[in-house]
Amino acid sequence: MYDTKRVESIVGQDDIKISARKVQVYYGDKHAIKDVDVDILDKTVTAFIGPSGCGKSTFLRCINRMNDTIPIARIEGQIKLDGEDIYDKRVDPVQLRARVGMVFQKPNPFPKSIYDNVAYGARIHGLARNKAELDEIIEKSLRGAALWNEVKDRLNEPGTGLSGGQQQRLCIARAVATSPEVLLMDEPCSALDPIATGQVEELIDQLRQEFSVVIVTHSMQQAARVSQKTAFFHLGNLVEYGDTDDIFTKPRDTRTEAYISGRIG
Amino acid sequence: MSIGLLLLIVVGLGVIGYILGRRRALASVAGDPRKLHSLPSQYGQSVFLFTVVPALLLLIVWLLAAPSVIDGQVRGTVTTDGVSQSEIDLKMADVGRISDGLGALMAANDMSEDDLTALTPGDSDLRGQLAAVGVAVGADVEPAVFEAAKHKRSLTNSAGLIRTVLILLVALAGLAYAMTRIRPDFRARNVSEAVVKALLLGSSLIAILTTVGIVLSLIFETMHFFRLYPAKDFFLSLTWNPQFRGGSDLGVWPLIWGTLYVSFIALLVAVPIGLLAAIYLAEYATKRVRSVAKPLIEILAGIPTIVYGLFALITVGPMLRDYFAQPLGLGNSSSSVMTAGLVMGIMLIPFVSSLSDDIINSVPQSMRDGSYGLGATKSESIKQVILPAALPGVVGAVLLAASRAIGETMIVVLGAGAAAKLSMNPFEAMTTVTVKIVSQLTGDTEFASPETLVAFALGLTLFVFTLGLNVLALYIVRKYREQYE
Amino acid sequence: MTDATAHNAPAAAPARPKSLLTQDARTKRRNAAEKRFRTYGAVAICLAIAALVMLLTSVLGNGASSFFQTYAKIEVTLDPEVLDPKGNRDPAEMSKITTIGYGNLMKQAFPASLQAAGVSTEGVPEKEIGDMLSKEAPAQLRNRVLNNPDLLGETISFWALANGRIDGYLKDRVTMTSAERDGNVSPEQLQLADRMMEADLLEKRFNWDFITFPDASELRPEAAGLGVAIIGSAYMMLIVLFLALPIGVAASIYLEEFAPQNRLTDLIEVNISNLAAVPSIVFGILGLAVFINYAGLPASAPIVGGLVLTLMTLPTIIISTRAALKAVPPSIRDAALGVGASKMQSVFHHVLPLAMPGILTGTILGLAQALGETAPLLLIGMVAFVRDYPSWPVDGLFEPASALPVQVYNFTTRGDPAFVERASGAIIVLLVFLLCMNLLAIYLRRKFERRW
Repeated sequence: MYDTKRVESIVGQDDIKISARKVQVYYGDKHAIKDVDVDILDKTVTAFIGPSGCGKSTFLRCINRMNDTIPIARIEGQIKLDGEDIYDKRVDPVQLRARVGMVFQKPNPFPKSIYDNVAYGARIHGLARNKAELDEIIEKSLRGAALWNEVKDRLNEPGTGLSGGQQQRLCIARAVATSPEVLLMDEPCSALDPIATGQVEELIDQLRQEFSVVIVTHSMQQAARVSQKTAFFHLGNLVEYGDTDDIFTKPRDTRTEAYISGRIG
Repeated sequence: MSIGLLLLIVVGLGVIGYILGRRRALASVAGDPRKLHSLPSQYGQSVFLFTVVPALLLLIVWLLAAPSVIDGQVRGTVTTDGVSQSEIDLKMADVGRISDGLGALMAANDMSEDDLTALTPGDSDLRGQLAAVGVAVGADVEPAVFEAAKHKRSLTNSAGLIRTVLILLVALAGLAYAMTRIRPDFRARNVSEAVVKALLLGSSLIAILTTVGIVLSLIFETMHFFRLYPAKDFFLSLTWNPQFRGGSDLGVWPLIWGTLYVSFIALLVAVPIGLLAAIYLAEYATKRVRSVAKPLIEILAGIPTIVYGLFALITVGPMLRDYFAQPLGLGNSSSSVMTAGLVMGIMLIPFVSSLSDDIINSVPQSMRDGSYGLGATKSESIKQVILPAALPGVVGAVLLAASRAIGETMIVVLGAGAAAKLSMNPFEAMTTVTVKIVSQLTGDTEFASPETLVAFALGLTLFVFTLGLNVLALYIVRKYREQYE
Repeated sequence: MTDATAHNAPAAAPARPKSLLTQDARTKRRNAAEKRFRTYGAVAICLAIAALVMLLTSVLGNGASSFFQTYAKIEVTLDPEVLDPKGNRDPAEMSKITTIGYGNLMKQAFPASLQAAGVSTEGVPEKEIGDMLSKEAPAQLRNRVLNNPDLLGETISFWALANGRIDGYLKDRVTMTSAERDGNVSPEQLQLADRMMEADLLEKRFNWDFITFPDASELRPEAAGLGVAIIGSAYMMLIVLFLALPIGVAASIYLEEFAPQNRLTDLIEVNISNLAAVPSIVFGILGLAVFINYAGLPASAPIVGGLVLTLMTLPTIIISTRAALKAVPPSIRDAALGVGASKMQSVFHHVLPLAMPGILTGTILGLAQALGETAPLLLIGMVAFVRDYPSWPVDGLFEPASALPVQVYNFTTRGDPAFVERASGAIIVLLVFLLCMNLLAIYLRRKFERRW
């Protein structure tokens, strides 16, 4: 187990977007996340890797309080966004989620038109004062998600009619449209074919210039390709956190090494 | 011999057949069941089935066919040239009642068959005697009608005798045939299983038979009605005013208007409350609240409609009259469209809420996650994502509720009133299709007057309406289910 | 992917509070809307539950009193001269004395026994004193004497059924003011009733007769009971059980286990789901047209009602039976087939017994639904006024009877307000039966619930 001081030495204090300290998550009696400390940098892609059931997705869902929607989940410890505790009583999760967006494992476009899908977040948060501004947000988000050229002529068709990869990029566009500061991605490519995966990965790399991106992935190759920082989770513990290159080339923990070389997983 | 006794004898023969068959099978292999193709009991079973099934089938066919055969025979005797179809129908109704009455007369007065044959319409006070056993005959009895009635009685009696003999013969023949087939290599299991399978199929065909029965009886009697009353007036007239002595106005529109008005108010109550309740239960309620509130609401669905009817009659109606209609000067009738609509709305709440609850729950969790993940509140997610996604299903549920409302009878009978009116005032008493079906068909029913037969035309209207709504609703709901499977 | 460049990312959002700890105006508005919406939902639930509570209290409030009935105590001397003029104590001879004879006897005995007990009858003419008893009371006395001829010549104290108005007075339905406007009762009679109560000659007693007596005419609501209706309903339930259960189970087995994928099967399925939604009154029309008019079965008889309700209940039973059969895992069928059982044997020996609890639960719920059904029974003549108890089945099935829900309707169509109490009381009886059936269904489901 590594200590907090090491975390702080890895990253410079100034760029820290999210810092988590002593985070515990319980699902009923199950202790799903144990004592996790981690700092996530601004404008960086951070990958969470680890075997299934290790808690990486659970931890991800803590960052925008999606676990609030599960009645049996209980969270202890502290997660700070720009120095403010997101589990403070005064914090409205709705306001938090506007700043910390999320993309899910399975593409989940709403049963509405492509336009309305992207406009959804902008509308509920009141980001546009008129139709022209909304149109602008839609176009920029779709361009940002590298989907504009493919759908610009059929914005009024249902989002569910797109291919899997397009649907996932639509979901990313939908998240981008609310201008978040952090984008959480929960295995965004696991339901996609290799070509679509390539497109989404390319997109993630570009998104880094605007946001801090946290991606949970099953695939070590993907983590290596898209991320600058990697955190390895095992059985609810954060085992190792550091530069992606270091984790994959010279892991310090034997469990990390075992996972990377394919002996556990 | 009564049908019940006949049934018992046939089943008794079947049981005897079972025992004999089993014994014979064992005897054929000298008591060594291993040499038989099937189990000994299966041989017995095959004899039982061969004895009972053909006899019962014949009985059913007989019961269905005999009345119309006898009717046809009797009809011939009262038909004379130059008499209209409807007059013959009237006569046939008399014939039926008199022949029933004769039987009752015989039982009541200890008469013998001969006494009965000796009776003539000229006899003193035949009408009075018939009335004494509960059979009311309109005018004095025509000799031809009386003879026809006696003819019908004797036909019915001899038909009963023939039936008994025939059915017993068939049962015995089946028994004998099945017994002769018993040999060690007889595939008793396969045979009896094939018969059982046919019986299972037969049982499921009853659903089709019921539908056919409903459709045929409605169409047949409706055609009968339209021979007596012009279809044009039924569909186009705006007045409903039945008269006992002919000259009725039987326009369907006031009834359809009342039906739709009551149903509309019912849906206005049930849809918002039911839908909001379903949303609350599915999305907001804690487990504990849900486990208490959901069964409580579903109790409403288990309460018979007569209870709602009484509630409308003694509580809701007077309340609406005293606190709304009279102070507002809108009327002083306790039965009103509002009364019936309100109470029917309460009845439909659980219907809408449990269907909607299912439908909302079948919207995948990923939709909710997607919406929450973008920072939407629960109500925004419900209104803008979940409900639009569930819309087809909810529409289907509302259509099903509408079909319930249109077909509902007891609440409107006790709550809506009996006056056929085309009015907009919801505090006025109006009437519905179902109320009129009940009022035209209860009491002494004479199946030859348009005032009675109109009920069948109303029934057909109702059936077509509700069937259309149901088919549409089921189609929409099924499409919706497929979308998320 | 040429269009994806970081510079094209969305324009900076409008001013957003930098701190998470304060809510901006828009979030506050949105949260208020959220709270409002949530309140709507809670209000809807409360409205639904309030409606249920109102419904039940209305019925219970109006009906509970029907289980108690007012009786007046009379000392009556059973004069053999009047009741058995031939003096041979032969019940057949005695039954020739009609209720009128007993009525006269009571009319004389009632004022006399009041005076004997020291209750003043001042201001009430003798005839009106007699009118305070039910018109049914002489029949009660006659039955008692005919059942026990040895009573002749003795003076017995007899609790006679009081008139409905007097009963209403004890139940606060009739007041002094309403009596002034009522032709059937006078304030003086009510004052006499007060005096009788003080002398313990008038009291409310538990009313078994309400459950066992047959219906009574318009003029004697105090004697109306549910006996015939309960028997009629019970007979119909028997018919439904004996027909709908086997036919429904057979049809479900066919559809679930044997039916090939073809047009006929589709047709059957469509028919079943549509029949489940056909308005009940249409089944009544079917019963009237086919069973009564065409097949010539007697009107008002439980057999016709039972057949109609059977056809109505079949879809319910088929749907729940199929669900129960579906819930039996295929491994059970495979296991039976694997040891050489035929398909038929595997179904009847293994699948059906395992599905039985589910089938029974569905059947009970179907029966409960049939028990409360009213509309179709109106059309097949069960509204008729029936005072004779039907005999035992099978013959009894073909004799006129009433049914509980129809009896409720019947009571509501009568003028006397005392019948509202009767109707509500009948509903209580009906609801108690339904409650028992539902509890039984829940018990069966809990007890035999299986997790595969």
